[in-house]
Amino acid sequence: MRASLLLRKFLTIASGALAIVLFAQALSAQNNTIRIKGHITSTTGQPVPNATVLVKGVHAGISSDESGNFEVVAAPNATLIISSISFTSSTIKVGGRTSIEVVLTPSNSSLDQVIVVGYGTQRKKDVTGSVVSVSGATLQEVPTANVISSLQGRAAGVDIVSNSASPGASGQIRIRGSRSLSAEVTNYTPSTNAVLTAANDDALNAPLIVVDGIPYGGSINDLNPDDIANLDILKDASATAIYGSRGSGGVIIVSTKRGRPGKSVMSYNGYYGIGNRTKEYKVFNGPEYAALKTEAAAGNTINPGTNAYPLTTAEQAGLANGTSTDWQKLIYRQSHTTNQNLSLSGGTETTQFSLSAGYFQQTGIIPGQDFTRYALRGTIDHQISRKLKIGVNMMNTLGYTNSGGNPVGGLVRMSPLVSPYNADGTINKLPEAGSIDGATVNPLSIKYNSAAIVNNNRRLRTFNSLYGEWEIVKYLKYRINVGLDYSQSQAGTYSGPNTFYNGSVSLAAANETVTNSEAYTYTVENLLTYDRTFKERHHITFTGLYSIQKDHSQTSAFTGTGLPADYIQDYNLNLASSIAANTTGNPGGGNFSERGLISYMARLNYAFMSRFLVTATVRTDGSSVLSPGNQYYTYPAFAAGWNIANEKFMNSISAINTLKLRAGWGITSNQGINPYTTLGALGTNFYNFGPGTAGQNIGYLVQTLANKSLKWQSTTQQNLGLDFGLFKNRITGSIDVYAEKTNNILLAENLPTSNGAVSTTVNAGKTKGHGFEIAVSSINVQTASGFTWSTDVNFSVDRNQIVQLQNATLKQDIGNQWFVGQPISVIYDVKKIGIWQSQDAAQATSFGQFVGQIRVEDLDKNGKITAADRQILGSFQPKWIGGLTNRFAYKGFDLSVVMFARMGQKVVVPYLTTDGGAQGFDFFNNSRNNQVKINYWTPSNPTNSFPRPDASADKFVYASTLGYQDGSFVKVRSINIGYVIPSRLLTSIGITSLRVYVTAENPFIIYSPLVKAGLAVDPEGNGYGGAVTSSAGGNVPLRAITVNLNAPPVRQFNFGVNVKF
Amino acid sequence: MRATNKLFFILTVAVLLTGSGCKKLLQEQPRSQITPAFFSTANGILGGIAGVYSDMRFLWGTEGFTNITTAGTDEVLAGGSASGSYWWTYNNILTSDGATTALWNVAYQDINTLNGVLQFGSAAAIDTATKQQYLAQAKFLRGFYYFYLVQTFGDVPLHTAFITNATTSDTRQPIADIYTQIIKDLTDASTQLQVKPTSPFLGKPATQAAALFLLSKVYLTRGWSTAGSPTDFTTAATIASNLITNAATYGIGLNPDYATANAPGNEYGQETLFVIDREADLKYGERTTGSRASGSKENGLNFFFRPNYPSVNANYPASGGAAIMTRDIANGRPFIRIRPNTSYVLNQAFVDQADDSRYSKTFQTVWIANTAAVTTPRGALTVGKDTGLWTPPYEVPAAQVAAFKGVIFTPLGTNGANAYTTVIFPSMSKYDDPNRADVNDASTRPFVMFKLSEAYLIAAEAYFKANDNVNAAAMLNVIRQRAAYRSTNTPAQNATSVTAMTILSSQVTLDFILDERSRELFGECQRWWDLVRTQTLNERLQRFNPTEAYPHYSASNPANAFMLRPIPQTEIDLVTSGPVFPQNAGY
Repeated sequence: MRASLLLRKFLTIASGALAIVLFAQALSAQNNTIRIKGHITSTTGQPVPNATVLVKGVHAGISSDESGNFEVVAAPNATLIISSISFTSSTIKVGGRTSIEVVLTPSNSSLDQVIVVGYGTQRKKDVTGSVVSVSGATLQEVPTANVISSLQGRAAGVDIVSNSASPGASGQIRIRGSRSLSAEVTNYTPSTNAVLTAANDDALNAPLIVVDGIPYGGSINDLNPDDIANLDILKDASATAIYGSRGSGGVIIVSTKRGRPGKSVMSYNGYYGIGNRTKEYKVFNGPEYAALKTEAAAGNTINPGTNAYPLTTAEQAGLANGTSTDWQKLIYRQSHTTNQNLSLSGGTETTQFSLSAGYFQQTGIIPGQDFTRYALRGTIDHQISRKLKIGVNMMNTLGYTNSGGNPVGGLVRMSPLVSPYNADGTINKLPEAGSIDGATVNPLSIKYNSAAIVNNNRRLRTFNSLYGEWEIVKYLKYRINVGLDYSQSQAGTYSGPNTFYNGSVSLAAANETVTNSEAYTYTVENLLTYDRTFKERHHITFTGLYSIQKDHSQTSAFTGTGLPADYIQDYNLNLASSIAANTTGNPGGGNFSERGLISYMARLNYAFMSRFLVTATVRTDGSSVLSPGNQYYTYPAFAAGWNIANEKFMNSISAINTLKLRAGWGITSNQGINPYTTLGALGTNFYNFGPGTAGQNIGYLVQTLANKSLKWQSTTQQNLGLDFGLFKNRITGSIDVYAEKTNNILLAENLPTSNGAVSTTVNAGKTKGHGFEIAVSSINVQTASGFTWSTDVNFSVDRNQIVQLQNATLKQDIGNQWFVGQPISVIYDVKKIGIWQSQDAAQATSFGQFVGQIRVEDLDKNGKITAADRQILGSFQPKWIGGLTNRFAYKGFDLSVVMFARMGQKVVVPYLTTDGGAQGFDFFNNSRNNQVKINYWTPSNPTNSFPRPDASADKFVYASTLGYQDGSFVKVRSINIGYVIPSRLLTSIGITSLRVYVTAENPFIIYSPLVKAGLAVDPEGNGYGGAVTSSAGGNVPLRAITVNLNAPPVRQFNFGVNVKF
Repeated sequence: MRATNKLFFILTVAVLLTGSGCKKLLQEQPRSQITPAFFSTANGILGGIAGVYSDMRFLWGTEGFTNITTAGTDEVLAGGSASGSYWWTYNNILTSDGATTALWNVAYQDINTLNGVLQFGSAAAIDTATKQQYLAQAKFLRGFYYFYLVQTFGDVPLHTAFITNATTSDTRQPIADIYTQIIKDLTDASTQLQVKPTSPFLGKPATQAAALFLLSKVYLTRGWSTAGSPTDFTTAATIASNLITNAATYGIGLNPDYATANAPGNEYGQETLFVIDREADLKYGERTTGSRASGSKENGLNFFFRPNYPSVNANYPASGGAAIMTRDIANGRPFIRIRPNTSYVLNQAFVDQADDSRYSKTFQTVWIANTAAVTTPRGALTVGKDTGLWTPPYEVPAAQVAAFKGVIFTPLGTNGANAYTTVIFPSMSKYDDPNRADVNDASTRPFVMFKLSEAYLIAAEAYFKANDNVNAAAMLNVIRQRAAYRSTNTPAQNATSVTAMTILSSQVTLDFILDERSRELFGECQRWWDLVRTQTLNERLQRFNPTEAYPHYSASNPANAFMLRPIPQTEIDLVTSGPVFPQNAGY
């Protein structure tokens, strides 16, 4: 009964509606107009809701609905102007069509855009700080596992360097360069002196990421890129000061997608990708490897003519029968990527919701490496009453990372003269038998014995933010944000015997580890906002904040040795023959750390008729990690803006539509040191007095000295910016110039060890930096037929330098690699000026060197190469970075090409060096193992590039100088071709919009001297550290990104669809 | 709606109050690390001392340290895979070398910890007797480190107070001051330490006997130095001979067989005075199994002296044929770092092998076939029975060479045998460890640093320098007569050898003492200091190491500058205030 009643009602309404439509049609026919149905999508195929559709010459406009559809009545020869926030507007001639597909190009510079500025939003034209906004649609042009790598080359002043090509890796991100000098000391070994970790360098220099108002720490991989609606990047201090101590490295504000009132929209985005290595490391082939060994014998400087690494019997046979095995080819595989996202959003005027589920899986080109992420997310926004609103965002991700192992270094080492298979087709288990490395197991064991190789990490993360808003009285609002971010991870490794990674033969030597970590952060923010316009010209917004934040992390780790069978892997440590707390890390086995932050903030925005804008901010932070008495610090910031275009005298200049001058000054700070630094800690180790358990003891050592008076580091920054829009905003952009000074830098200072400790943490030194950034978006071509070509270009230059060290008189601190007047990270070493040639033999001898060895500059001309001959050889700071995105669209087709350049910086390539110890490439140029192919000196090839092979040397003098290379590059990041299938073909099957696309990621490198020379596969770094100790003394700072032997970058082709129902 | 408003208000106030109650948010409570105040507890003192002992593992047993104590001397030459080539050749020695840096860093880090233990520990609430023994350990170790610093680097900074505030200046003090401090510490330790190892210091840690041993060596070394006086030699001789006389009191004594002293499992035996401990336990032994991490604290001495025995093929020296030997635990992991300097070892130090048993107890010369289906041109080898490789210290007659199924390497390679190469040579076997789990495992054996036998050699050298050759000969004869003993000989044969080994006081020379030290202590990580102490480095390199080391040593060393190792470059670079920290001459 009930159902039939409903049906009847429905029919009544439907027939009524039909009648209205028919009537309207009749009307339109009468007035010589036509009814035009349109559908608006972005270049990535997403429908564009709420776009404004204007008929040229007619004032009233309409909006597109949630699915991007609109209907308008107009003359057949009318022109439609379609515009939307964060898109470039489009002008389309109707040309008698009744169905029109409109593709809007994303734009980052629309001035009506709403920008999230931290604890609130502003229209772009009212913003006084240096803020850049990148839409989710733009980011999706480069589909990657995490949002940071999509951002590479997309925003001026944001420098992202990838540091690994393995699945699930993130990258190093710096906004306007580095400010801080150094890091904590870990991995201490007495022979290398102090070693600094890059992870902490990130803590000091990386930007703060805020998701829906709540600080987001930890792995960016936990964030599903498909859930992101928009990124706003706050760059200058006047904008970041409201985040106080955490904002000194810049702030990236992530806004996630939320529901909107209207019909429920279901959408599906998915792609499938196939990838292959872009290149292999170029190594010596069989005959070249044999020649290397011969030359290394000839060049043996201790026992001339001998080589401890002659060809084995098998290698001699291989040389005779032409064997030249490409080990890399045997191991690398095709990678596969699957990304599936399903979302549903909608709501009523009072309640909106969105739900999404995502699945991402990527297998690496190295067997055993993959990354899988399951994401589930829901948001609700509900208006309880006219004065009360609440909302929640719950993001849950479950990530599985299998890191496998890194075989690349080992593959490069393998002899090409041996065959991976025996004559009968079986695996040749020990291909290098008979050589000193005869115990090396066939690399194919990575495939056939994969059960013995486990390196996985499972992380469950739940990131929840809840807000409530209460309009206390008119204009005055109170808002509370509560965030709870909790993650738990379990990591396990297993390294069984008889594999390429573990050449031991017995299960007694199997190793397994289990690591459990828990981390949570809770944040409570109380905000009071007063927003009012007086006399229609004075607009005031006041924001007050009181917030607390606590970070907690806790880890326990255990190692087992010896297992009964490979298949036990890391599942049951109880079956291990011995278990111990994992001794790596200090203190090994367990870690606990907590830090707390209490903050108060006030901000006043004042705008006079949208012409003059002023922002004033003050924030006070109290941090637990600093010494009592020095825990609080206050940061003021001011900024002003002048919308020149709104002045009367600009009315006559029609070419300029927008012109805004911004100026800002502010202080930010940093407390990125480890908790408990002010208390000091003893290093731990273990010892046994005699055999048996009675004499087993834990040992303690003083390794670092506590500093009980640590205080805040602070950065003062000034910024001057100009936003412009020309020719009806066809060309928009901004130019920013900034300068900054950092004082009281928190740094780990290496100490002369004779004073009993390796390092201490101090507030010392000053740095300064300056730079400029330009970002321009332009619509180069826009024809009536619907062809558009638009370009986004960004370019930035950042320079930093050290102004003062620990005290005003100290000009250089060689031990810490800091030099007044130089960039923060430089290379300080002797300078290679070539190779000693035969005609200079006598001079070489006077230096105690041989012909064919590396010749370095005798700076002080004293006839000896000593520590005094070291000099600054370059810096890791790029001269400039830039990005270029070109977009083309025509009748449903779209094409975008994203390019990225980073020029003028040095990189360190450790595998072209050796120090005979833990760093560099063991036995480089010694012929014990194969290596990356280099042009080495021989009597008949008097090159100046690489020295003569020498079988006696596990390290050779000045080897470190070979690793400093030009890291400049220009790359095409991605090419994306899409087609929006006309909606008329789809409506019948219930689909609102459908776009299909093909993407090529990392298609090619346009310029890279390092890759061109055949010395690397990718000029971008893929790891931290590993630079060798200089022969002449001193370490290259570990904060430098190095190019190591690691998984080559993947050239990937994706096939994807975006569908809306 | 009103109710909702109220609820909202209450919740908000509650959250605000929670927030303002969070001042404790700014207080720190570490839970996974120990703060320095721990040293003022009994466990803290013990922990500090254990920490210092453990730190020594970064030195004795590691490759770099073995290089700087062994390479560039008369005893050894660079193996085919030797590391740190400049330590062997003295050519372009790097001031940034990791091994010298490690010695410097470990020593000073430990000295500061010991200063902390002595400073905090004196106030610890433990009984006086125990406290004295604990603190005497700290004094012993401080003296110990300064002794190795002063021998290696000359003038060095002297710190005896706990440094808790970072400074970036330091200065070098004259060796006389360093020796004064060492002698003071060791003299205290020689009376305050326990007489025999007792809990918690079990095994062979510092005892009164170890302190006396070291003290005698310190006096001997100072005697030779510019800070010394002739009475140093008599003091050294007295202390060493008293230690020998009172050996029973300390529970020590010579083994009847030289081989026993170095035998696996006998590291805590009666002849041992002091070890740097190791054990199979992965946690307290600080080791891994299945591999050996570079830059680690593991004892790799079982690797460094190994020739590349698995590389010899059946048809050697022609190509072809299977590898005769496979790497196994008994024969060890071939690192090929150090080979004996055969012209010195065979023609000078170990020239008498008939009566002196020590060559055969120091070197492995026979490799029993361990690989199936190996046939040389002279026949098939039976696993476990036939000798696959043989490296005799003499030339083998032609007929015997022809009849031998395996492959022979001799010093000169005459009569159809092959000559020793840079990768195949007699393997020094004192540090073998047959009890490892995996062939690639580092040694689980403690490093025996002080042995009673060396006390005789110290005493002999001291008596010699004090012009008492009669007592010097007496001391040497004890060691030499013990060396005559072979368990396979009849008592009569042993007696004959004893007579032959006995020397007269007129035979005692510095050369003889140094050769005797080679025979007794070959490869035991102290030869370089022996030659430096006795100021014979230049002369003995010229005589015994004329092609590898001497040319560069003499050419770039006009004034014996290489009698000191370079100050680590990091130390020089990091002294950024006060006077510049000077480098040693010649670097």
